Amino acid sequence: MSTQDNVKINKLPTGVPGLDEIVGGGLPEYSFNIIAGEPGSGKTTLAHQFVFANATPERPALYFTVLGESTIKMLRYQQQYTFFDPAKLPGSIRFINLSQVVLENDLGAVLEQITKEVEKASPAVVVVDSFRTMVRKPQSDMDLQSFIQRLALFLASWQATTFLIGEYAEDELRDNPIFTVADGLIWLRQTAERNSIVRKLQVIKLRGQNSVPGLHTFRITNAGVQAFSRTFGLTGHLKDPPSHRRLSFGIPELDKMLGGGVREGDSVLVAGSSGTGKSVLATQFIAEGIRKGEPGIIAVFEERPQAYTERATSLGLDLKTPQKDEKLTILYLRPLDLSVDETMHSILDAVQKIGAKRLVIDSLAGFEMALSPGFRADFRESLYRMIFALTGIGVTILSTVEVDESFTEFPFSTYSISFLTDDIIRLRYVSIDGQLRKIMVVIKMRGGNHLKDIREYEITSKGVEILSTRLTNYQGLISGIPVRSDRPGPKEEPSQDAGIKRKT
Amino acid sequence: MTIPSKTRDLAHRLVAYEAVATKTTKPGKSATLRVYEKLRDGLSEFAGVAGFESIASRALALAKTEAPSLNAVQVSSDGELQGLGRDLGEIENPIDIDKDRAGESQAGEGEIILIARILGLLLLFLGEAIVLSLLRITWPGAVFDDRNSENGRRE
Repeated sequence: MSTQDNVKINKLPTGVPGLDEIVGGGLPEYSFNIIAGEPGSGKTTLAHQFVFANATPERPALYFTVLGESTIKMLRYQQQYTFFDPAKLPGSIRFINLSQVVLENDLGAVLEQITKEVEKASPAVVVVDSFRTMVRKPQSDMDLQSFIQRLALFLASWQATTFLIGEYAEDELRDNPIFTVADGLIWLRQTAERNSIVRKLQVIKLRGQNSVPGLHTFRITNAGVQAFSRTFGLTGHLKDPPSHRRLSFGIPELDKMLGGGVREGDSVLVAGSSGTGKSVLATQFIAEGIRKGEPGIIAVFEERPQAYTERATSLGLDLKTPQKDEKLTILYLRPLDLSVDETMHSILDAVQKIGAKRLVIDSLAGFEMALSPGFRADFRESLYRMIFALTGIGVTILSTVEVDESFTEFPFSTYSISFLTDDIIRLRYVSIDGQLRKIMVVIKMRGGNHLKDIREYEITSKGVEILSTRLTNYQGLISGIPVRSDRPGPKEEPSQDAGIKRKT
Repeated sequence: MTIPSKTRDLAHRLVAYEAVATKTTKPGKSATLRVYEKLRDGLSEFAGVAGFESIASRALALAKTEAPSLNAVQVSSDGELQGLGRDLGEIENPIDIDKDRAGESQAGEGEIILIARILGLLLLFLGEAIVLSLLRITWPGAVFDDRNSENGRRE
């Protein structure tokens, strides 16, 4: 039998933003699924989202409630979510309470009641919430196993996609027969990390299709559950052929130091201590892109967009107009409880909305601080995934990072993330002739040659301006405390577009 | 905590609707009791017997503060209403359901208050959209948004 003859399994939308990507395009039709997790982890909300996304008057959903949260209270809370459409009740979505049957009868009677309702309604979706409370009454393992087998068989035969919701502990995974029978198993977890709650979901099992493995962050907002795939929703996106184009900073001397500019799709790290002009350089990079018709995103964590825009104005860079023209988005990501995946989701939305080609993350330290403490441990790994995903779709990323100024070392980054970047530009202070001056050097350019010059620069009302000559008559510049050497200055003439000369 | 006139009007309309049916199909059974039983059937399936019983008990407690005639009425554990409308002749202050059609259907004020209280709790917990959807399933021929229609029936 050729693959063309294989049965096609339809994939149903989950109704949960981001989850379709994680489960491989949607949940298999007629599958028998478990949504497990602790109380308050979002199981019922997730099930409601699926139900509201798929129920129709012709193929309704039956939502069986058992012991636990009362239906009235459940609906009172669920209707606060934006996905909740009261018009779907009770024509497309019917709630049936089984508490009495469960309390007064055995599992056989429960199965009989479910069978009766399913045969009457021929539903597309069946939910039992909470299945755990239904089977909590003492019964033999054989009774329970038989009940689950018969229920799964019956619901699949009646072409229903089923969800059993339960409060299970992870150590039950091996022994509980329900997990053997299930086609799909979605586990929702929430843990308290210092003062933040970290929510993650895992598709432990999904028969018939590939899901994205691992733990995925999710959040519960007024729109319901929203999942953030570890692959950032970019699965299947082909990387554009590598571009040989060089992107300008709008600072001719710096472009020259970079061998003509930053390669498109590179990840650039600008490292330096406080006040060395990292944000100024980043702003110039974005402004030059906009000038050349390349929309940009600035993700700021340490100051608000208005302050960022006003500071750019003081440097003669207009960030207001491109924002109005939707050529620039300044994202201010609210601090303290973010996951990298959520941040990525916001950035990707903005990238797709305006077709951004350049992205500035200002700064990595601020980004890390904005994360929930529980996510900080994974910061490097998450950053790797984020940079890989974004550069993979052709976005050029410039990240700033603050490094401790040392007069004995020359660190590139306190985060040890230099391996994540293609290009590194290091800014630092040096003590020369009784002045605290600034120097800049391109440390690394992956896949391209660059100048090895150490150049002095200043921050003026026009932004970063590189001074005209190399500092050839000093040794030990990168130590921060250079000594004057007797070597003569360079013979070559400075470039035509060299910046200002130092005033003495 | 008074009953909003809109909720009281809705109760009136349901009872009026059932009053017509009572005359034609099941004479002798109180229209209010029929409304209650239909609410009980619909809500017990949806919220469970215990869910309905708790709503009905609360509604009755609230209604008793306004209508002492309900003092003898009780809600059993399965949600059945005991002591209501056993004899319409016993009702002291019958009121017109629809003033334009006086005499076509009548119910005691206390009974209307009880139904209105049940509806009020449902509206409080579930909101108008869901409650009206549920009522439309139970009373498919009734209209709930046109006060001028005759006895709440579709034209």
